[in-house]
Amino acid sequence: MSQVRSLVAALVVAVLAVTALPSLALAKDKFTLAVSIYAGWMPWYYAKDHGILKKWAERYKITIDAVEMDYIPSVEAFVAGKVDAAVMTNMEALAMPAKSGIDTTVVIVGDYSNGNDALLVRGIPDVKGLKGTEVYLVELSVSHYLLARALEMHGVKESELKVVNTSDSDIAPAFIANKNQKAVVTWNPMVMSIEQTPGVSKIFDSSKIPGEVLDLLVVNTKVLSDDPRFAEALVGAWYEVMSLMSQRGPEADKAMTAMAQRSNTSLNEYKAQLRTTAMFWTPEAASDYTRGTEIKDKMDFVRIFCFKYGLFGENARSVDVIGISYPDGTVQGDSRNVKLRYDTRFVDKAKIGQLRQN
Amino acid sequence: MLAANPYLISLQGVEVSYPKNGNGDSGRSVILNNVRLNIRAGEFLSLVGPTGCGKSTILRLILGAQFPTRGQVLVDGQPVSGVDRDRGVVFQRYSLFPHLTVVENIAYGPLLERTSMPQRLLYTPAYRRIRRESLAEAREYLVRIGLNPWDGDKFPYELSGGMQQRVAIAQALMMQPKILLMDEPFGALDHNTRLAMQLLILDQWEDYRMTIIFVTHDLEEACYVGTRVIGLSQYWSDDEGKPGVGAVIVTDLPTPGGHPKPTAIRATAEFNALLEQVRHDALDPANRQRLQQFNLFHQDALKPEPLSAAKVSEAKEGTDA
Amino acid sequence: MRSFFRTDAQPSGVATWLLSILLFGLLIGAYLAGSYYRHQENPQDKVMPTVSEMLDGLKRAAFEPDRNGDLRLWIDTLASARRFGIAIGVVLLAIPLGVGMGLFPYVEAVFYRFIVFFDKIPALSVLPILFIIFGLDELSKIALIVIGVFPTVALEAHLRAKSIPREQIHKAQTLGASEPEIAYRIVMPQIFPKMLETIRLNLKAAMLLLIAGESLAATVGLGYRIFVVRRYVAMDIIIPYVLWMTGLLFLTDWFIQWVIRRRYVWVDK
Repeated sequence: MSQVRSLVAALVVAVLAVTALPSLALAKDKFTLAVSIYAGWMPWYYAKDHGILKKWAERYKITIDAVEMDYIPSVEAFVAGKVDAAVMTNMEALAMPAKSGIDTTVVIVGDYSNGNDALLVRGIPDVKGLKGTEVYLVELSVSHYLLARALEMHGVKESELKVVNTSDSDIAPAFIANKNQKAVVTWNPMVMSIEQTPGVSKIFDSSKIPGEVLDLLVVNTKVLSDDPRFAEALVGAWYEVMSLMSQRGPEADKAMTAMAQRSNTSLNEYKAQLRTTAMFWTPEAASDYTRGTEIKDKMDFVRIFCFKYGLFGENARSVDVIGISYPDGTVQGDSRNVKLRYDTRFVDKAKIGQLRQN
Repeated sequence: MLAANPYLISLQGVEVSYPKNGNGDSGRSVILNNVRLNIRAGEFLSLVGPTGCGKSTILRLILGAQFPTRGQVLVDGQPVSGVDRDRGVVFQRYSLFPHLTVVENIAYGPLLERTSMPQRLLYTPAYRRIRRESLAEAREYLVRIGLNPWDGDKFPYELSGGMQQRVAIAQALMMQPKILLMDEPFGALDHNTRLAMQLLILDQWEDYRMTIIFVTHDLEEACYVGTRVIGLSQYWSDDEGKPGVGAVIVTDLPTPGGHPKPTAIRATAEFNALLEQVRHDALDPANRQRLQQFNLFHQDALKPEPLSAAKVSEAKEGTDA
Repeated sequence: MRSFFRTDAQPSGVATWLLSILLFGLLIGAYLAGSYYRHQENPQDKVMPTVSEMLDGLKRAAFEPDRNGDLRLWIDTLASARRFGIAIGVVLLAIPLGVGMGLFPYVEAVFYRFIVFFDKIPALSVLPILFIIFGLDELSKIALIVIGVFPTVALEAHLRAKSIPREQIHKAQTLGASEPEIAYRIVMPQIFPKMLETIRLNLKAAMLLLIAGESLAATVGLGYRIFVVRRYVAMDIIIPYVLWMTGLLFLTDWFIQWVIRRRYVWVDK
C-alpha cells in the first residue's frame, strides 16, 4: 500500500513539474523572431546570417533568436505564443493572432505586394471569363483575397466559379504540367515560373490593388509593453539592411546575391521579385504611410473579406468584432476589443536617429 | 498394344533420386532404387516400411503428383502424366476443403462433372437445380459412411478426426475412381476409431471393387485390410553384402483369410506369423537381407534389380540436362 | 504493487472498466485544464477550445449551411467515403491477382517483382508525381490510396495462396478441378476472410493517404476541411472532425470484424 502511495506522490510531483516548466522558461532576456521565405522578408535572413541582428541585440543587452519556418506554421507559432515576433501579411495578422485574442502590434510595415500575387490563366481573356472555371489557389489565403478583389472589381460572384483549395508547394508544378487547368492564383516565386510557361497569361495582380496586401513585422503586444528593447533592436537591424540594399552598387548587389541564394533563386530573379514588391526603404517612408489615410481604407477591404469569409470566426456578428488601432488613435471596429495595433513609435525613433548606436 | 495386360498399375524400373548438395558431383541421394511393381485391378494393396523410405513417394508417383527420375509409371498401359479424375486420394490431413460444408465437400467432384464453367460463373437456374440435386445425393450418401444426414451442413472444423476422414473417403469415392490412394489415412485417429474406419474401407472396397493402395505404418492394419502386403525398405544389402542404396521392395506377400475378412483373423497364428515376417523383413534395421533372401511370394511379385550407387550417379550424369 | 504484475491476475469487470478509462480520463482532464487556463488568460483563445465551443463547432458543421450553402460535415463525409470506397474496391482486385501469383509460376514471374517494387515505394512520396501526371482531382487521390494499399494486399494473398497445403490441391485435381477452378473456387475463398483482416489492418494507412491527397488539392472532404479551417485556427471544427473520423474508422473496423465472424465461421478453426 505504501508503494501505491509513493507512486501517487511521484505522479503528483511530475505533473506539477511539467505544468511549472512554461513559467520557468519565460525569464525574459531572450526573444524569438519567426521568419519565412518571401522576397520582402529575405533581409531578415541576411541580418541573421551576417551578424547584424546579433549586433543590434547586444546593443540592447538582449538575445534575439531568429527561427526559420514555413509561413503558416510561423504564424501559428506566433498565435500559440511560442515566438515573440513574426513576419506576416496584414490579412494573416488580422485573421490569425488578432482574431484569436492575441494582442498584436505592427512594428514595421515593410512593403506591399505590387504584382507579387497574381491570377494566371490559360485561354481566358479577362476576369469576366472566369465564370464556370475551376480556380486553383490556397483557400482563405492572400491569393483568395486577391481573387475576391478581382471578382469584385469586375462584377463576378464567387458562386459563379469554383475555388479548389491547393497546397502551395504543389500548386505551380501541377498547373504547369496539367494543361486542362485553366486558372491559378499564387504568389512569387511561383508566379514567375508559371508565367514562363507557354500559353499562360496574367489577367490580374496585386499591382491593381496597391497597398492592400501589406507585409509586416509584428510583435506580441504584451512582450512589447514589458520590454520595448526587443522592438527597437529589430527596427535597427531592419533599416540597416534596408539602407544597404537601397544604395545601388556592388555592396548592395553582394547583399542581394546572398539573399537570393538563401531563397534558392538567382540574383536576377530576386531583383525581379523585388521589382514587384513596393519596399518602404526608409523609416520615413514607412512612418508616413502608416500614419496616412490610405492604409485605413485598404485595411477596410481586408477586414471586410475576413469577416465575409468567416475568418473572424463563424460566430462573428459583424466586421467590427475586432478592433484595429492606428498611430493617430483612431480605431476601426470595436474599440473595446482592439487586437491589432499599427504602431510607429519605433520606426519614428529610427527616423530621427534615436536608436542606440553602440 | 499387348493382348490383355492383366496389370492395372505398373512401376517399371522406377528410380527417384535427388542430386546431393545440388551440384551433382558428390553423387545423388536415392529414395527409390529401380523399383519394379505390378498391381492387378481390384487388388487391396497395403504398403508398409520404415519412416521416410519412400512409401508416400510411390503413392505420389501413381497419383501423378511426382515423376520418377528414371523409369515409368503406367496406369492402364499409359504413362501417368498428371493428377486427374481416374485416381482418388485420401490424405492423413488437409483432406477436406475447410470453407465448404460436408455435403458441399462430398458433392464437389460430381458437381464439377455435371456443370460447365459458364454455368457456374453465371449461377444459372440450371446450375442451381443440379447443385440442389447433388447436395441431396451427398446427404443420402452420409448414411453409408456412418454419419447422420444433419451432419451434412456442418463445416469440417465441427467434426472429429474420424468423421472428417469418413467424409474425405466419401468425397473421393463419389468420383468412382478406378484407383484409390490412401496415405496413412487413419494415422491420426484413436485406436477404436481406427478399427471402425478399417471396417468402413473394407465395406466400400467390397461394394465397389476399385484398386486400393493403402500406405500405413501400422503392420496389423496393413495385414488386416490388404489382400497383398508389400514392404518397402532401405535395410537390405546387395549381392556382395554391401549396404543397399535407396529403398526396394523387400517383401511381397499375400494375406490370409478370404473376403469378407472376419475380424477374428487378427487373433490367429497365421496372421501373427505374417506380421512378424513382414516386420523382420522390412522394418528391422539390423536385418539387412541380401537380394536372394527377399520373401517375394505373391503371385505378381517381381525380383528387384537395384542399381549400385555408382551406377545411379554415373548413368545419370550422361542424361542430366 | 506486486499484485499489479501478476500474470494470473483476474481483475473484476468493474476494475477492468475503471482502469481502461483511466488514461482517457487523464488525457481529457489535462486538456480541459489546459483549455481553462488558456481561456483565463485570453477569453478568445482558439487553440484549445472548450467542450461547449467544440460542440458548437460540430453543430455548425453538421446543421448550419456555410458560405456556399452546404452542410459541411455531410458533404465532406460523403466525398471522402466515396474516394475511400472506390479505392478499396480497386484494392479488392489485389486478392485474385495475389492468388494467381501464388499458384501459377508464370503469373508470379510477371507480377511479383513489379508489385514488390511498388510495395517499397513510400506512397506519400509519389503524391506530387501523381498530381502532376493525373491532375488535381479524384483520380490522383484514389490512385494514391491504391498505390499505398494494393501491393500489401496482393503480396499477402500471394503468400497465403502459396502456403495452402499441396494435399488440398492434389485432392481438388483428383475431383476433376481445372487450375483456374482450384485458384478461384478453392484457394481464394479460403483466404478471403484473411484478406478482409489485412484490409482492416490497413484502413489506417488508407485513411492517412486519403487525407494527404485531400490536403493537397480538393474542394470537399474531411481532410480538405481540416486543412482549410486551419487557416483561421478553427480548432473547434478540427478537433470534432478528427474525433468524427476516428469514430468512422472504428465503425468500419468493427463492421469488417463482424462480417468475418458471421459469414466465415470456419476460418481459423
